[in-house]
Amino acid sequence: MNNPVSNNLKKNKFGKGLKFCIGIYLSLCLLIFSSCVSHLKEAKFYYDQGEGHLRLYQTEEAMASFKKAVEEAEIKVKNHASAQLYMVKGLSEIRLELWEEAERSFLKAFSLGYEKGEEWAKELSLFGLASTMEEFGLEDSALKVYEGILGRSNLTPMTVLAAQKYMDISLKKALQMPEPECKKELMKLIGKAEKLTEKDLSCGYFHYVQSQIYSHLGRYRKSFEEAVMAKELGLPSEEIARDNDLQIIFCYKELKSICSPGEWDTFQKIYSRWVKKWHWKDSVTPHWKTR
Amino acid sequence: MKTSGLDKIIENGIKVLLEIFPDEKYLYFPLLYSAIIWAVKRPKEWKKQVFSWQVWVNPDRLQTKPDAFILEFFKNDSSLAREYEQEIKGNDLKTLREAFLRLYPLVGLEDPFLSGLFFEELESKDFRRIVKTFDERVRKAKKDISVPENQTYFIESLKTLDDEVLSLSTQIISESKVRKAIARILKKQIGKKYE
Repeated sequence: MNNPVSNNLKKNKFGKGLKFCIGIYLSLCLLIFSSCVSHLKEAKFYYDQGEGHLRLYQTEEAMASFKKAVEEAEIKVKNHASAQLYMVKGLSEIRLELWEEAERSFLKAFSLGYEKGEEWAKELSLFGLASTMEEFGLEDSALKVYEGILGRSNLTPMTVLAAQKYMDISLKKALQMPEPECKKELMKLIGKAEKLTEKDLSCGYFHYVQSQIYSHLGRYRKSFEEAVMAKELGLPSEEIARDNDLQIIFCYKELKSICSPGEWDTFQKIYSRWVKKWHWKDSVTPHWKTR
Repeated sequence: MKTSGLDKIIENGIKVLLEIFPDEKYLYFPLLYSAIIWAVKRPKEWKKQVFSWQVWVNPDRLQTKPDAFILEFFKNDSSLAREYEQEIKGNDLKTLREAFLRLYPLVGLEDPFLSGLFFEELESKDFRRIVKTFDERVRKAKKDISVPENQTYFIESLKTLDDEVLSLSTQIISESKVRKAIARILKKQIGKKYE
């Protein structure tokens, strides 16, 4: 015979029991979560936080986060070493300018090896290792690595990183060349930069790179246009955004000195519209400028 | 040690179930099994998630500027123009470029961290001292920044661990192992007392 009261009691008991069981195993689950991979999560968390601070020009907070990432990684690599953990450690050490430690971390990461699906981490470690090589004076070797990444990586963040390093070293080398070779080299670089932009028209950083190279070539109108594009599309950090603003102002001043009165009049009208749109204090003072 | 840890959890689970469902022993196995397997599977999923979490490096700005940009930088700021008058007149771009690398982030980009670090020199317009001491002071400052003791916003539940159960988590590796353990303990406990 079915007794409704007894049935309800049983249902209540069943509900309580289930909750209790879930409680037990949830606790177990949390503890398990915290085991073999939590250290990587924490190190990644702090590293990512550091990069976030850097984007906003918060150097002090960024350095503290990178230190924390290294600390977390150092504690855990002893028992739970993984290539990704050494990669995060190495990247943080680069930010802290601990170059020798960073090199050791990347080499260790490669010795542990990356699995399928970790190609991004492998490329990032290669980039990190090249950065340490560059710091130790092996600029040509580093340049080859950056060029290699630039040519074959399908990952936009990787291409952006390699582009910055490759272009910076190449520009430095070009400026040391005598005039005809320098110009030839700069033309080669602008060709590469244009290809990058064609590949991803919406990447503000590639337009920024183009703007900088056009400036080396003395093509200020093109440099100005690319810098405006970069500003409109967005740049990866406050520092780069400010540098780009100063590039715009530099182009404005240079164009003022080289344009014919008619050309200048047309340009100034366009420029004034942008200045208004960006809420700059005046034609040569961006909103962030205090000096 | 590790096996006894798993056994202990199962035994405790059975004790609870015996009190709550003394008559529904058929529920013990599926309840314990599903709960433990859930706990076993989650770390695998979590591990996958953590390993696939991609972190990236912010690109830096391009450091290499044309001569014209550097000259404009020094000419544009009256204090800099006064201090580097000789170099500007003599078109000494080697010296100007070296000084530019240190002064541009401060005077041009107004980096807040560097502006704080070189506050006195900026106030007294002692640019040459900034150039001379820049590398060493920036390195030292970055080194001396301390790590905050408490980062409360970080997921606290991941923090405190019990080593005994932690070692157990590495022991629980397969469903069949869990199944066998539950079956063995159920048979031992229930068989002895209730059958």
